[in-house]
Amino acid sequence: MKNRNALIGFVIVSIVTTLAIAAPWIAPYDPATTSIRLFEGPSAEHWLGTDQLGRDIFSRILFGARVSLIIGAGSAVVAGIIGVPIGLAAGYLGRTVDMMAMQFINLFIALPGLVLALIIITMTGATMLNIVLVLGFVAWPGVARLARGQTFAIRESVYVEAARAVGGGTAWIIIRHIWPNIFRLVAVQLATVVAFAIFTSSSLSFLGLGVPPPTADWGGMVRSGVDYLSVNPYMSLAPGFSVAITIFGFYMLGYREE
Amino acid sequence: MLSLIVRRLLLGIPNIILISVLLFFTILGALGSPATLMLGLDATPERILELERQYGFDRPLYVQYIDWVWKALNGDFGRSYATNQRVVDALLPRILPSVELALLGMIVAVTTSVVFSSITVGRRIVQPVVNILSLIGITVPNFMLGITLTYIFSVVLGILPTSGWAPWSAGIFEHLLHLILPVLTVAAYYFASFGLVYRAEYRATSRRLYIQVARAKGLSESAVSFRHILPNSILPVITQVGSSLGQLAAGALVAETVFSIPGVGTLFTSALLSRDFPVFLAIGMITIVSVVVMNLLADLLYVAANPQIRLD
Repeated sequence: MKNRNALIGFVIVSIVTTLAIAAPWIAPYDPATTSIRLFEGPSAEHWLGTDQLGRDIFSRILFGARVSLIIGAGSAVVAGIIGVPIGLAAGYLGRTVDMMAMQFINLFIALPGLVLALIIITMTGATMLNIVLVLGFVAWPGVARLARGQTFAIRESVYVEAARAVGGGTAWIIIRHIWPNIFRLVAVQLATVVAFAIFTSSSLSFLGLGVPPPTADWGGMVRSGVDYLSVNPYMSLAPGFSVAITIFGFYMLGYREE
Repeated sequence: MLSLIVRRLLLGIPNIILISVLLFFTILGALGSPATLMLGLDATPERILELERQYGFDRPLYVQYIDWVWKALNGDFGRSYATNQRVVDALLPRILPSVELALLGMIVAVTTSVVFSSITVGRRIVQPVVNILSLIGITVPNFMLGITLTYIFSVVLGILPTSGWAPWSAGIFEHLLHLILPVLTVAAYYFASFGLVYRAEYRATSRRLYIQVARAKGLSESAVSFRHILPNSILPVITQVGSSLGQLAAGALVAETVFSIPGVGTLFTSALLSRDFPVFLAIGMITIVSVVVMNLLADLLYVAANPQIRLD
């Protein structure tokens, strides 16, 4: 069951990634080129029709995949860089370090990530780099909590004790003996961070506060199509479906039985 | 019992102060000048200085923080930069729609997830449907869900209003009709996450001896499920409700925008878009502090509802 979920996720994520990388070669049109054929429905030339500026929706979705994946992957890297060391330290050192770290982690986990992200991004400017940094910062406590829990679980295992017995220092034990053993689970958790980041960044764009136009971005495309739902529903529904299926892929990849 | 509540409160208050200090100092200290934000990048230095003096941004941060909190406690959040209206006056009429939306969303999510997971008649058909709905709830972003529902029920079928808000004065039927889609949008994610938690606990409870006794004495499957398993499995859902409030604030924000509901969320986004610093600072601080407070209350409720943890 678990493997089947991961396989479905892997297939979806691979397809989306391939399409994103190959976008410049497979997209039939330039994503920013406008034309006089506005609000057209799907046809042989425009597979998903055209938007309010006559741009090809299918091409824009392909290029939008790049934006989503870069933000998703970037945020996961940032969350990992902040969360993993804190989780490892809290789990291995325990006591005061652990208590302080957990206090902080629990406080941050309860906060509304989107609200926080909205304020910080408005203050610093909505560039891709800022969005990646902010979303990574909002997502780190989840990663830290998992790393801490896993470290805690294997801290007392025999091989760690052996490493300690031969005189291994704290840093050496954490890097050489604990990290390799929790790496896989942390990587799985990072897939859900990617899902969260794509979810949140597309919500930001939908609210008009994410990656600024004319960049082809899924959330922004949904936003601009809302007013034309009865004219050409593909303007909103097609990019919205792309967001949903991508999030679904990463979610399945990162799904764990609790 | 009482001493435990007092102890939790004493631990909770430093948390609230810590989070508000962190937020205030990051926003005002680390992220750049609010005056530059409000005036735009091409503002003259003189104009920026003037605005900083006018709003008191030139004072040390801790003075600004204490001043802000003191005034806020007295109901004064300053004036909107864009409209010069008092922030309180702009905020107050918007609280009710937001709270109503969030509350109804939570109630719908809790009841549907618990009831649908407890149904024993036709479980073979109900369970796969619940599973698919759960997957949709977790993976489809709020805005996409809202728009898809609008498209299906308003554009294609034409049976529900597309967006907007009917106040209570427009009649209760009209009011609720406008609320159906927004509430479903907000509830979808929680339907899924509560369902997951509830079903795990449900499975554990149904293996208990007293459930076997209930079956042995001849109760119907339905009666066993609803009267014996349900009350003993619902506690984790209550905890989950408490810890979901932060995400709920964000979800309601998006749903309000999709359906143009005049709530706190739409005021917040429009303040962000117009760089109206006093307004979004106030909403951000209130939201985040109230989330921490609600978590604390949920924690206390959990203690009150479960005698086992009162020992401590």
